[in-house]
Amino acid sequence: MQETQDLESRGPVRARRPLTAWFDVRRDRLGSWAFALNRLTALGLTLYLFIHMAVLYLLAQGESRWDSFILVVRSPLFLALDVVLIFGILFHGLNGIRVSLVGMGIGVRNHRRLFWILSAIGLVLLLVSAWLVFTI
Amino acid sequence: MRDKSLTHQGPRQDRSGAIWLIQAFSGLLLVALLLLHMVAHHFIVEGGLREFRQVVDYASHPAIFAITIIFLIVVTVHTVLGLRAILIDLRPSLAARRSIDWLLLAIGVAIIIYGIWLEFIIARL
Repeated sequence: MQETQDLESRGPVRARRPLTAWFDVRRDRLGSWAFALNRLTALGLTLYLFIHMAVLYLLAQGESRWDSFILVVRSPLFLALDVVLIFGILFHGLNGIRVSLVGMGIGVRNHRRLFWILSAIGLVLLLVSAWLVFTI
Repeated sequence: MRDKSLTHQGPRQDRSGAIWLIQAFSGLLLVALLLLHMVAHHFIVEGGLREFRQVVDYASHPAIFAITIIFLIVVTVHTVLGLRAILIDLRPSLAARRSIDWLLLAIGVAIIIYGIWLEFIIARL
């Protein structure tokens, strides 16, 4: 687990400027980008969770409110935002799987390879999802 | 003489280890629940669940109702612990850290209560 916590942190640089250090890629380019993107997607998904829960209240307000909401979210802009959301879910989920596995001692030596394999899987899933979002 | 800083850090390290495990396992569980959620919402009915009556009937099904409540609790725990990790990384004082813990606990409980209340309202439509 300690190794994952090390993967998730970058020592002295992070200790001095904890927030800006998210984007400091001088020491470990891949790990730093994964760390920063993981946190950005986490914040984005948290925001989405709050919006999603608020929007579901429209369902409780009856059919007409729900139908007008559905009309809005079927617009191309919202469909594009759906693809951004799917990117966030896929990156956060797959990177989370990598961090969890490495933290449990699985694939510690190959964590970089694991990152690229999961990224490839994520890219394929993103492309398929984007196609489905705009065609279903 | 024992080093006080090491003695002080012991329980906190244990606690952060337990929190890390909860975060990891809730995340893995979320992957499965989210997959189920996406498939159920977008692929079981042709074109996905969109019509008001379809969505209400789906949400009112006892099995879906139970899974949704579990999903709500797991996603809230994962979110709150994730936000806590980000805030703790900003190196707050001990007092601020305690406030963060209580605030996030209150937010988490409020989200779960609101979500369960909403599920009951929707199930009765």
